[in-house]
Amino acid sequence: MAAGGVDRPVTVGIIEDHPVVVDGVTAWIARDPESRAVVIGSGGSIEEVLAGPAAEADVLLLDLRLGEEVVTDRVAELCTAGRRVVVYSAHDDPETILTVLEAGASAFLSKHETSDHCVDTLVAVATDRPYVTPSVAGALLSDVELSDERAPHLSGRERTALLLWFQSMSKASVAKRMNLSEATVRQYIDRARVKYAKLGRPAPTKTALLARAIEDGLIRADEIHEYRSHAAE
Amino acid sequence: MAALKSTSDSDPAVLVARRYARGATAAAVVIAGFWHVGFDLPATAGNWTVYTRQWAAATGWVLYLAIGVAGAFLLRREQPSRWAWPLAVAALGVDVLLVAAAPDEGLLRPANWAWGAVGWLAVILFWRHRLAHLVAFLVANTVLLGAAMALVGAVGRFELSRAMMVLLGAATLQLGYSLSAHGLGTAAGWAARSSAARARVTAERAAAEAVAAARAQRYRALHRSTAALLADLAAGADPADPEVRHRCATGAAQLRRLLAETDDVPDPLLHELRAGADIAERRGVLVSLSAVGEIPDLPVDTRRALTEAPIVALSQARTMARVTVVALADEVTVAVVADAPDVDVRAHPDIRLTRTREGDRLWLQAEWTGR
Repeated sequence: MAAGGVDRPVTVGIIEDHPVVVDGVTAWIARDPESRAVVIGSGGSIEEVLAGPAAEADVLLLDLRLGEEVVTDRVAELCTAGRRVVVYSAHDDPETILTVLEAGASAFLSKHETSDHCVDTLVAVATDRPYVTPSVAGALLSDVELSDERAPHLSGRERTALLLWFQSMSKASVAKRMNLSEATVRQYIDRARVKYAKLGRPAPTKTALLARAIEDGLIRADEIHEYRSHAAE
Repeated sequence: MAALKSTSDSDPAVLVARRYARGATAAAVVIAGFWHVGFDLPATAGNWTVYTRQWAAATGWVLYLAIGVAGAFLLRREQPSRWAWPLAVAALGVDVLLVAAAPDEGLLRPANWAWGAVGWLAVILFWRHRLAHLVAFLVANTVLLGAAMALVGAVGRFELSRAMMVLLGAATLQLGYSLSAHGLGTAAGWAARSSAARARVTAERAAAEAVAAARAQRYRALHRSTAALLADLAAGADPADPEVRHRCATGAAQLRRLLAETDDVPDPLLHELRAGADIAERRGVLVSLSAVGEIPDLPVDTRRALTEAPIVALSQARTMARVTVVALADEVTVAVVADAPDVDVRAHPDIRLTRTREGDRLWLQAEWTGR
């Protein structure tokens, strides 16, 4: 599965049982002025989409509730098979978000933030880069608060950046509030997300995220080593 | 956390147990005091001529008094004291002094009042200890009496039965008092705890019923407006019409929030914010409300001050508002991002209010820190 780069649009498969939502998301993606992504297939079940052209999609956009079924426990299976999954759901409680991230999902979109963040998320995920939506920022914060022993240590700045981003004005406003550049704010938020890639069982998507984070200079290789040994219980 | 501490301090079980323990403790000191003044003093004075060493009897009486005062002083602290045993040994010294004062026939007569009396000192000294300490002391007292009897050769049947009478008579009272006082204290704690638990269950049930009723009411209202909207759509309302689209979006947001809510014990802070969000939604504003973390119990006026500015901002929002609540260990932050004009609210000393404007969007943050 080749990562979508600048030379061609990111290919997307949508797994969603409500045709009207598929239409809405497709419209948002089509409205992107730079046409950075394109929907190549959709369907009401995981099997249906994987049997079609979207089997080769760079990114799968997965609704957690398909008909009567909640497919949270199938995220791991998709991610272990090397697929990049972006979960989107109206269930944006921290527990659900952390569960799908731990299972290997690359990103999470709450339904109310789909229009603002959908394409940016798809593009970042296709290149194995972190993308933290405000709802994910809230979930990461809550995890620190639960003081799970395995929860990674976040610096004070990283926590503040997550908190302000969760309130979700814009990264520019967060930067102004923190007296930092927008790039630095993005770095704090992304670093916090990358630190979570060590949690749960390993998945190719997580490894790719970590590898890309090192390549981009977001974290150092020895920092990852520390996370891994921390996680190896 | 201040709020948590105050709840444990006002825990009825703790209060009742503490009040009860104070009474029983005071009674133990009073008993020892009355015993010493009402029995030991007349016995010493009445037998003054019997004593062969009068200074020893007088010293014994004063020493007893001193130990009693010291013991009462130790009771002011609520932990076992490391001075309890040294003082208890000194109390056994009172035995020895009285034996020295009346070594022969006085050993088991009222002239030697120490055998029965020192146990009351031990009741005070070992009040904060396990019962075994008091028992150990009474055993030591018995052994001492046995040794003294052997020493002076008072080992006849008459002496033995007299010694048993003295020791058992006193020890039963002392052990009995200590046991029942502590036992009743525990029972009082149980009773208080169970009645507090009952009150809590009742309060929770009432709150849950109130929430369920409010939800049901909201559901009915939503049902009416959604039905009207669906009827309009069925009757040919144009989905391309921005007005229709906005009504759909608002209805969907309301439904989503209704579904996301749980019937858990309601949090008053979230409850107030939800109420504010409801009113905004009724005006057609798209509201999203997200909360992270467990919100601690806040004093009412702090909570009001935290929610006041965000609710005002909500009420002025034109088309959209995002409300977030983040509760970390010792801070609670309520924020609103909305297309609203600037809001004017009074300041509160405990709340830090931050405002930022970006285009037509207002970003307002109210922060409470419990440090």
